[in-house]
Amino acid sequence: MDQKSRDELLQLFQGKLNQAMKFYLETCSRCGVCTKACHVHESMPHVKYIAAYRAEIVRRIYKKYFKAQGKLWSSVGESKDLSEMAVEELYEAAYSCTGCRRCMVYCPFGIDTQMIMSIAKLLLIGTNAEPETLTMLADMSIEKGKSIDIFKEGFLTGVKNLEAEVVKKWKIEAGETVIPIDVEGADLLYVALAGAHSIIPAAAVFNAAGENWTLSFFEAVNFGAFVGDPTRTKLILDRIVNEAKRLKVKEVCICECGTAFRVMKQLSGKQPFAVSSVTEVHARYIREGRIKLDKARLEGAITYHDPCQIARNGGVMDDPRYILQHLTDDYREMAPDPRYNWCCGGGGGLVALGEETLDFRMKSAKVKADQVQATGANVLATACENCHTQLDNLNEHYNLGVEVKFLTSMVADALVRH
Amino acid sequence: MATLYYIILVPMVYIAFAVFFLGTAIRLVKIFKAPKHPTTLQIFPEKQPKWLWALHDTFLLPTVRKHNPLLWVFLMVFHLCFLLLVIGHIELFKAFEIFQIIPHEVFLGKGLVGLFLSIALLFFLFRRFVSPNRELSVPEDYYLLILLFLIVLFGSQMDWARTWYEYGELGVEDYREYLMGLLYLKPDVPANVLFAGHSFMLVVHVFFANVFLMFFPFSKIMHSFLALPMNKLRRG
Repeated sequence: MDQKSRDELLQLFQGKLNQAMKFYLETCSRCGVCTKACHVHESMPHVKYIAAYRAEIVRRIYKKYFKAQGKLWSSVGESKDLSEMAVEELYEAAYSCTGCRRCMVYCPFGIDTQMIMSIAKLLLIGTNAEPETLTMLADMSIEKGKSIDIFKEGFLTGVKNLEAEVVKKWKIEAGETVIPIDVEGADLLYVALAGAHSIIPAAAVFNAAGENWTLSFFEAVNFGAFVGDPTRTKLILDRIVNEAKRLKVKEVCICECGTAFRVMKQLSGKQPFAVSSVTEVHARYIREGRIKLDKARLEGAITYHDPCQIARNGGVMDDPRYILQHLTDDYREMAPDPRYNWCCGGGGGLVALGEETLDFRMKSAKVKADQVQATGANVLATACENCHTQLDNLNEHYNLGVEVKFLTSMVADALVRH
Repeated sequence: MATLYYIILVPMVYIAFAVFFLGTAIRLVKIFKAPKHPTTLQIFPEKQPKWLWALHDTFLLPTVRKHNPLLWVFLMVFHLCFLLLVIGHIELFKAFEIFQIIPHEVFLGKGLVGLFLSIALLFFLFRRFVSPNRELSVPEDYYLLILLFLIVLFGSQMDWARTWYEYGELGVEDYREYLMGLLYLKPDVPANVLFAGHSFMLVVHVFFANVFLMFFPFSKIMHSFLALPMNKLRRG
């Protein structure tokens, strides 16, 4: 690597060094308590999958270029040159980490490995070594935000075709719109994913609850966050923020997508609207008596997988359990303390990379498969697209014999008239 | 030899403290001046009041207690004993009367505090020889443990000599005189400190302590200052 490219990369690195990041990079005492934290390490015990080791790969470069220790006495902290080899190591560390932050629950200091990995991901973008698929997907999202008119026609037709399916789940009164779009002054803006499964059940529940809602033009998923690109993340986020402001909605409701929820909830800053996950909204409807569910519609034991970005990192833990109480009498807890729930193994962009990462995803999430199996449930519910795909793959790979379902679709299927 | 002793006991101590205070202050200012992270970094579920839980996490190490109870016992013993000995040293300064309400021996626990500390340090050192800690460790981790072990061993030895086998040549009063001289910038090393049978122990103790203080701001020991703000971030 020549001096110029290295300097450019170090500029990127420097840009990430805010107060919290400096805490995290200065402090690790390498006590090893995090050894048992990572699902990858628990499934494939190799030192390189220990949280502290991943972080140290970034930390060694930090010591070399940003710390007196590395400059004066390089060997004491094993500081390391930023070279092509180092970039390869960064790739392996960053893209074998799903950003679930389970290690943060183990660390005596609370070091955020996901955040340290965001440096690795940014350096990979700087060397054009990031997974191209993710950048491409992110750019497509941004493009859509810029030229909405081109996409509008196709989107409206697509949504129109879904209406019949929605009505099958919940019959509405004459004169009402099945899937309202672009409604100024609506109370709630629902941001879905590009997929019927993300729109149909949610629409049925909104209509059943008599919600004054409108569907967003944009899909919630933020590929910018997966690939660790702050600029793209912000651009993708802003499309939705701007739409919400334009329509003057009171609440932005994010579909079952962990990353989208956390990014919108925590990164959008102070806005005139509230941010909630669809799970929270559904629990609210039940609590307020706006929808009623029939337990008889679902058979067998149900367990729930807490998506990391929604539960441990987003704070939505009680609401899905509250909903499930109204869906079944046989709920099996998977992780008595949701902070310790194993990651599905598909986060951080790994699922979005599809076949490319399938082998790793299956091997690294063995502990998750075991955890699901231990519940003895037949239905595995979750509230995140990524988790759903990954759990589906695990189900097939490990012959778990469960049915993986979205919580929203379970709610929609159990709707009853008052 | 007396010259070398003097260099270690006086100029080097000043240099060590200067590096320690300036280095730590400058590094902390640099770290805390960096812009704050724009989003929350908290882990849920949250518990109120957050600052109290952050203190709890910082000083009682609940995550270590849960996941590695043996390590937790040694960590607690280590940090508590370390604190006692730091106070035990400050208490040697005549001027700090507030610490002298409690007799000197209490902080040293009749030599037991030093003994516990040495054992804890050996435990930390030996556990690093075992995988996966071996692969996670960098030289810094070993140097610091060895350095601390030497400091504690030579320091405690002087105390053990007095409390366990009635060595009386070099005692608390001599240390007080020496330290007060340092504090008031009128360094005067009493003859006892330089020429007693145990002077060598003292000089080695002070030498390693100086090295430790100078390494402190540039090492992971900065966690003494950063552990609390980091735990606050996790608690939100």
